[in-house]
Amino acid sequence: MEIIKSVQEFDEVVAGNEKVFVDFYADWCGPCKMLAPVVEGLAGKHPEVKFIKVNVDDTPELAQRYGIMSIPALIVFKNGEAAQASVGFQPEAALERLLY
Amino acid sequence: MSRYDIAIIGSGPAGLEAAITAKIRNKEIILFGSRDLSKKVNSAHEVLNYLGLPSISGKDMEEAFRRHIQEMGIEITEDKITAVYAYGDFFMLQRNNGELVEATTVILATGVVAGKPYPGEEAFLGRGVSYCATCDAPLYKGKTVAVIGGSAHEEAEADFLSEVCGKVYYFPLYKETPSFHGDIEVIYEKPVEILGTMKVSALKTDKGEYPVDCVFVLRDAQFPGQLVPGLETEGNAVKTDLQMKTNLPGLFVAGDIAGQPYQYIKSAGQGNVAALSAVNYLAQLKK
Repeated sequence: MEIIKSVQEFDEVVAGNEKVFVDFYADWCGPCKMLAPVVEGLAGKHPEVKFIKVNVDDTPELAQRYGIMSIPALIVFKNGEAAQASVGFQPEAALERLLY
Repeated sequence: MSRYDIAIIGSGPAGLEAAITAKIRNKEIILFGSRDLSKKVNSAHEVLNYLGLPSISGKDMEEAFRRHIQEMGIEITEDKITAVYAYGDFFMLQRNNGELVEATTVILATGVVAGKPYPGEEAFLGRGVSYCATCDAPLYKGKTVAVIGGSAHEEAEADFLSEVCGKVYYFPLYKETPSFHGDIEVIYEKPVEILGTMKVSALKTDKGEYPVDCVFVLRDAQFPGQLVPGLETEGNAVKTDLQMKTNLPGLFVAGDIAGQPYQYIKSAGQGNVAALSAVNYLAQLKK
């Protein structure tokens, strides 16, 4: 999965794809590490959705913009708009529901 | 890391009976609980309706249970499980000591958690309410936070927060006087509500209001939906059926966590059913 390094890059990806699944994480966050393989698995099943990761320490502006107060945080963008969100570890079936 | 067939959480009658049944079926098990087995058992005055143990005191019942698991060679791993993560065909259990344990199936027999979440707790989860100090502390660097501590075990978590956060208030839910290494203000007031609009702004108590950026709610035992993200619950109980299945394949429940009636013999019976359901599930996976 692609790791986004800048706000500009993030905005381009969100604007340029119909559906984007964003995983906000940090290296020091245990539950984020636990969630990562679930998100990877989901990405493998949904090639029609763009999956990206955002490290909140690298781009705190994005965490602030979306009011992220706890991680892992997941946001699904549809046509550039934040449409669904979820906080914390979730099993794959629950994450899949965020896509639709 | 080796993967256990069945991880059992809880050492009351449900967890112990599940362990005994799983052991008889030759499964690789790990049983998490307390050396005192169950406070609810050993503090009982007299139990009249447990088959084979007429008019037995809680203390004697505990001894009978202990003898039974010792005869079977079942050991109790004394540690708290802080989270159970479902990966589809296996589970990861987070131990309080930071280690992870893998298991193909899990039986939750943790008992029932009294009470309910504070008003605002669920609404602000992830927006200023946290259950994990080690996970979320860096998000509150230099900020003011409140810790609601369910037991003295949580004092270490508050100490850790005091290294990162600007100001830490500690609200003990227990009688003993807390002791800390860090700079922490202990407030002997009862938390009643978590306030905020977009995110948490204050913790309200029976006597006042404390402006904070985050409230860490560290209860002695977690509500089942917090312990296992994605688990379907109804009130304080986990949704289950007569096979003790839950909405998560491979995860079973037994005892008080499965709902009323809260009876020792029912818990033991459900522990037996849950273990057999786990054994069936394991056999299906191998096909």
